[in-house]
Amino acid sequence: MTEDRWLELAPLHALGALDGEDRVGFEAHLSGCLACAAELRAHEAVVALVPLGLQPVRPTLTLRQRVLERQDSKSAVAVAPVAPRRPWATYLAAAAALVLGLGLLVVRWQRDRARVAAAEASAEARRLEAELSVTQRDLAEAAAFRALVQRPGSLVTTLAGLAAAPKARARVVFDPVTREAILVASGLDPAPEGKAYEAWVIAGGAPVPVGMFRPDAQGGAVVRLPRVEATGSARTFAVTLEPEAGTPAPTGPMVLAGAVS
Amino acid sequence: MDLASPSSAMNVAPRDLVRRLAAQDQSALAEFYDRFAPLVNALALRILRDSSDAEDVVQEVFLQAWRQADRFDPSRGSPEAWLCTIARTRAIDRLRRRSARREQPEESAPPPTGSPRNEEALAVRTAIAGLSEDQRRALELAYYEGLTQTEIAAHLGEPLGTIKTRIRTAMIRLREALGPLPS
Repeated sequence: MTEDRWLELAPLHALGALDGEDRVGFEAHLSGCLACAAELRAHEAVVALVPLGLQPVRPTLTLRQRVLERQDSKSAVAVAPVAPRRPWATYLAAAAALVLGLGLLVVRWQRDRARVAAAEASAEARRLEAELSVTQRDLAEAAAFRALVQRPGSLVTTLAGLAAAPKARARVVFDPVTREAILVASGLDPAPEGKAYEAWVIAGGAPVPVGMFRPDAQGGAVVRLPRVEATGSARTFAVTLEPEAGTPAPTGPMVLAGAVS
Repeated sequence: MDLASPSSAMNVAPRDLVRRLAAQDQSALAEFYDRFAPLVNALALRILRDSSDAEDVVQEVFLQAWRQADRFDPSRGSPEAWLCTIARTRAIDRLRRRSARREQPEESAPPPTGSPRNEEALAVRTAIAGLSEDQRRALELAYYEGLTQTEIAAHLGEPLGTIKTRIRTAMIRLREALGPLPS
């Protein structure tokens, strides 16, 4: 078999889809071939991305408790000191103390556990309440978003992070006919006090402001841009850092920009 | 103008979380779980199509991540990709163990609905949506059903050579669409 033939099997092996002679042959060849090893590694990295587009599904709250409690008990065992050997004469006294101590520990443990459970439950309730409003907003946007991404006439423009925000990245999905547009950004620094990011559409004339936003705590943002005339013939999308009240024309540093191809 | 509000109160980079996990920091596990369990659960559900089985896998994945965080290699991808790789392996093992009562592989699932979590999720969705229906189907049978090339060919009633080419082409297109990977 030629080298090319082996290289061609790398994407299949990365997916775990090779079988039979192909698999045996590829695995035997792999140990001595740097090119195939590199190719396999690159395809494995692509395979690892496949599920990242899935819509997250929150597991039950009991699962969270199971995962975190199981961890607690495991490390408690791991760090428990080993009891030193004792002469038998002191053993009974130690045992009595141990029983008393255990009794106290159990009482304290139950009290702490109840306290922690109550605190967790109310924190969880607050968190769920906050998430509910986010979820409702997400749901309301979901249909529009899906329609936009899947519409044949939709375009995607990639925005690169500029010197002021080299780690930032973004994409704008937009439909030049209906002028709907959604900006999805990541890698943004938090906006300083009194500032926020502002998105712009440029269609030949002056930049048109299309909304202020702040990234979430991970530096990400999903922003539905208002429909403006300029989106119909957009040449460039950009993001600048501005006073949070917004400005009619960009004044601050440009952090992201991308030309429509 | 209204400001898009932050959707989460968590504020640590995922890679820092993994470092804290490796140092056996319990609070890091809670944050790590809160951030990624919904994605890991979605993947396990997609493979196993049973919420109880899926949650067992989620639990196994986070325990394994806790024990093996020191083996995480950032040069090979993000923490979420690492978790998903662990989750997929475990979910497919479980799928095969219950294969005696396994139903037919699912017909192609509809694309995910709802706003993507982040820019990377959008990029992956866009890349997968850019495959032909046949390519996507073959890729999903391999990824989510754990089928091999021969099993996929049998399932679809097509020649093995056709299936191999189709999967390879799909992978190459994804690789091109998703560009240079984080290193």
